[in-house]
Amino acid sequence: MTEDFMVWAPVKKEDNVFIAPLGNKNEPFFSYLNSKNAPKNVFFPHTETMMKYTRTEKGMAFSSEVKKADKSILFGVRPCDAHSFVLLDKLFDQEKYKDEYYIAKRQNTTVITLACVTPPYTSCFCTSVDGQPVSSDGADILLTDIGGDYLVEFITPKGEALAKYFGEAKADASAEARKNEIAAKAKEAIKSKIPAHEVKPILDVNFDNPFWDTIHRKCLACGTCTYLCPTCHCFDISDEVKGSDGVRIRSWDSCMFPLFTKETSGHNPRPSQKERWRQRTMHKFKYYVDMFNAISCVGCGRCVMYCPVNIDIRKIVEDISKLESGS
Amino acid sequence: MQNPYIPYPVVVDKIITEVDTKDIKTFRFKFVNPEDEKKYAYIPGQFGELSIFGKGECPIGIASSPTQKGYVEFTVQKAGVVTTALHEMEEGTIMGIRGPLGNSWPLDYLAGKNIVVVGGGFAFTTLRSLINYMLHEDNRKRFGNITVIYGARNPGLLLYKDELAEWGKRTDLNLNVTVDKGDATWKGKEGFVPAVCKEVAPSKENAVAVICGPPVMIRFTLPVFFELGFSKENIITSLEMRMKCGIGKCGRCNVGSKYVCKDGPVFSLAELDKLTPEY
Repeated sequence: MTEDFMVWAPVKKEDNVFIAPLGNKNEPFFSYLNSKNAPKNVFFPHTETMMKYTRTEKGMAFSSEVKKADKSILFGVRPCDAHSFVLLDKLFDQEKYKDEYYIAKRQNTTVITLACVTPPYTSCFCTSVDGQPVSSDGADILLTDIGGDYLVEFITPKGEALAKYFGEAKADASAEARKNEIAAKAKEAIKSKIPAHEVKPILDVNFDNPFWDTIHRKCLACGTCTYLCPTCHCFDISDEVKGSDGVRIRSWDSCMFPLFTKETSGHNPRPSQKERWRQRTMHKFKYYVDMFNAISCVGCGRCVMYCPVNIDIRKIVEDISKLESGS
Repeated sequence: MQNPYIPYPVVVDKIITEVDTKDIKTFRFKFVNPEDEKKYAYIPGQFGELSIFGKGECPIGIASSPTQKGYVEFTVQKAGVVTTALHEMEEGTIMGIRGPLGNSWPLDYLAGKNIVVVGGGFAFTTLRSLINYMLHEDNRKRFGNITVIYGARNPGLLLYKDELAEWGKRTDLNLNVTVDKGDATWKGKEGFVPAVCKEVAPSKENAVAVICGPPVMIRFTLPVFFELGFSKENIITSLEMRMKCGIGKCGRCNVGSKYVCKDGPVFSLAELDKLTPEY
């Protein structure tokens, strides 16, 4: 496969597992529950060049820089992260204003999802946000370990095109039955549950609730939650110049940072961490629902696991569900 | 399809220093590739991203009217990195503009109505676009009475002085220009915009007020229009937020579920009431 495609897969680096390109000493590693980074960087890199320009006598000349994306395979993403691609598509691939940088990579990449059949992290809550530990949502191919063998399901034509890499063996009816049994068990194993679908009408009417004073106080504004989040998509655009050549790049940004919304005049519509936390919560559980009819959280639990001060989005949603809905 | 992140190359054709303090200038751009002008078909109230080598971009309202052919104008106050670099530019320089972005003044809704345009200070730019559009011979009959109330802190800070003089000669426009404090040569009105609105007292009958200005002006002007009986549907304004992409993706200019860059910048007060007050 690596001869025909650029392959992204889980790779062990020191104590962490990352989704990274194979080759160059990067060996695939499959004894993992989930990667530390969300695989969104395959389509939406931390930093990417949007255009190049050159200083000329008269000012500047510039050229677009949508690179032809390599034919790629993204191997071994978990169902929650594959679900995040469906959510990101809604934003980057709208009818008006298509994001060619994202779309080029997305279209040329085949997503092979590895279902979660081993006991999950305690912080996993995909089943509360329209996900399943065994799910083909966002996948082109779904692999499920059915005890010794993998059941390979080709979900899309893009996935089917890779059939030759998976051998001749055909699954029988018992494999399907075993998969369903395993899927049901895996679903059962997700113990952490949040009332994610209940909070939208509550958020609709509680923008000014004193509740928002209770979340942010210990937040360090480090942005870890947004950088590890599979669905966070905010970015900055900036220019870098070396001599007479320059590039315009985009890089991940975070609504947790004070400068994110600060205007030239000094005015900041979100002046403290309180407003920033309200924004992050609202964006995931209300604004995205308003805009795209989908919750922008996949329940991967990374923000829960890696927040240095233990802010837990599950607790926040739980607490919101107890507020008055006004209706 | 045009990649919305890539600017059109333009040449700085003309720079007009608008105010005595010299920190507000109007930049007239011509497209390097003439066919780009058609692609940049805009409506008053929209904005563009001005793009400068090594400095970046900034979102600025379009100050010219689409009835002015052959060029596009932006009036820019020197404030941050990009606008400072812009102010140091010379005519003939090539840079970039993106857009047109955002919604626009609701021309279809305004058609057939009496229009009251209220502007304060530097926020007059997209209102000027609207006024020039409505006054154009092809469009004038589509609109009823047009009343303009425009104020600046002092005479030297009024924008588009030549145009104001031309408008003042017209009989199909009720123009009221005011300054907070006049000087020796000032013969016009003195007084704050809200007070002049009260004095002019435009009728609410079949009328829409389009209001743009500094927050303090807006705060005191709105009650005047409420008192005159204007409904929130018929008071329209334009918001500003920090922006980057301009197309609703980079995530910083949302007010509630609306992106100011894509769903705005123009909103009626009725629409703003439905949004969260976070701007």
